[in-house]
Amino acid sequence: MSAIAIGSPMSRALRGAGLYALVLLSLCVMLFPIGWMIVTSFKLPDEIFVRPPTIYPHAPTLQGYGVAFSGTIMMALANSLIIAAGAAAIATTAGSLCAYGVSRSRFAGRTAFMTLLLATLGLPIPLLMLTLYLMFSWSGILNTHLCLILSHAAITLPVVVWMLKDFFDALPPDVEEAAYIDGASLYTCFWRIVVPMTTPGLAAAGIFVFVTSWNEFIFGLAFTTSSSVRPLPAMISLLFLGEFQYRWGDAMAVAVVVTIPVMALFVFFQRYFIQGITAGAVKS
Amino acid sequence: MNAFLRAHPWATLSLFVPTIMLGLVMLVLPFLNGVLLAFTDASPKSRGFAWVGLENFAYIFEDRNFWEVARNSLTIIASSTLIAMLLGLALALLLNEGLRGTRLFRTLIFQGWVVPWIAIAVLWGWLFNFDYGIVNHVLVLAGVFDRSANWLADGALAKIVIISGFVWRIIPFMMITILAALQGVSTELIEAAKIDGATYRQRLRHIVFPLIRNVIVVAALLQAVRLFQEITLPLVVTAGGPINATTTLSLYTYKLAFQQWDFGLAGAVGAVWSGALVVAAGLYAWMVDRRARRADR
Repeated sequence: MSAIAIGSPMSRALRGAGLYALVLLSLCVMLFPIGWMIVTSFKLPDEIFVRPPTIYPHAPTLQGYGVAFSGTIMMALANSLIIAAGAAAIATTAGSLCAYGVSRSRFAGRTAFMTLLLATLGLPIPLLMLTLYLMFSWSGILNTHLCLILSHAAITLPVVVWMLKDFFDALPPDVEEAAYIDGASLYTCFWRIVVPMTTPGLAAAGIFVFVTSWNEFIFGLAFTTSSSVRPLPAMISLLFLGEFQYRWGDAMAVAVVVTIPVMALFVFFQRYFIQGITAGAVKS
Repeated sequence: MNAFLRAHPWATLSLFVPTIMLGLVMLVLPFLNGVLLAFTDASPKSRGFAWVGLENFAYIFEDRNFWEVARNSLTIIASSTLIAMLLGLALALLLNEGLRGTRLFRTLIFQGWVVPWIAIAVLWGWLFNFDYGIVNHVLVLAGVFDRSANWLADGALAKIVIISGFVWRIIPFMMITILAALQGVSTELIEAAKIDGATYRQRLRHIVFPLIRNVIVVAALLQAVRLFQEITLPLVVTAGGPINATTTLSLYTYKLAFQQWDFGLAGAVGAVWSGALVVAAGLYAWMVDRRARRADR
């Protein structure tokens, strides 16, 4: 790149072409696994177990998707939806109240509180799982949607507070203050004025929790024993390590099915995703 | 500060209650109790428990498996983070060139970040399949290998499988974070350097890198901490094998707890892991602090 950085139009055109070639190459490498997953999901077993592999399915089949849309997988998908939506509702509600409090008050130890929240992200999950397992087991909510909703809400809450504090900080307090002077209570003001003005932030936080919960694997595996509760990732792992072994077409179709909801969310709400990702790292 | 909130301290305090309750019950208490469990022989499979002092710690420190697992985790996570950091940096620099279609490129690269770990696990098993995997096919075709490699049966190769999965998943994060930092570098500064005749490499080395170095390091550290938690790939793709080669600290702790049901040993490993993290967190705090002081100057 550097050798032909500045110079004649010719060398500039060459440099442009070189850069585009690099872009295309990295795109191919990064997207190849996803492409291969999709291609394989449409192949019949006869075509999967051949060498050399075929680049596209010569006899496309929906057989794998028949398995992917079967009762077991669809039930796990529904479980995942319930858990992710529940976790998103709880974490976003609790987190937004807390973030608003941190943003608008100036108590001592405010920075320490925020740092502590961030630090909890490093707590070893398997260590936390010991006590969570015992707690859920004693309170009788082991193997329910509720225990997974609470777990997922708890591990995402710190990030939600961090994300939303930025949004509230950016919101000028004038409108709220006017409402307070008019006699509004704290919660009226919060729900009627603050929340409607920060819907993009709340959406970003909600999506972050939803996607994290959707992807979460180990709680779902350890805290469930029946398929009426078990979320999709845990269900897939059990099938994959058990009866799905060597049924690559079916496995790929299921992998496509678990990926589609989050990818669809991403396509529609790309901006919010990126906010969620850079929140902790670039600022802070 | 908001006058209303100052006048209504109890209402203000109530804003924090749900988060603090959830955090205390679901994070702080399990952490503290987990460390306590390290000093017991507790197991969900037996009633009651006894305090055993430092026995669990003595056991894991004498256990060859523990050290092997610690070393393997470090190898896998350090190399994944480093490789992803370098590739993410390269991609971010490429995107920062202001080519047309950059947004589309960014969106497409970013797809990897949203693919669930379980899908990557299943997919990686297929990509690296011994007999029919595309990776073996391509490598044999390119002459890198004489014949298909049995990826999951060899310790070093199995590590590569896990590392490549980690790298593929976190490159987009690195790219986005570094790109955000790059876009914060003042264009005037770059233009001035260009006029002074600085080459691309010189501009990178003397202007851009010093400005974005901290962001890169912090992003890498953050990812490393997250990768320590990651358990899906080692559990599903390699089951930690062959012979512990891909057993990370998280998988090791999980197996102790939920396959051997030995909460005491699992607690001890978790406690040691937390101790190591305190050191890492100290490093993180130090760096954030240094960056803040630099920004003030």
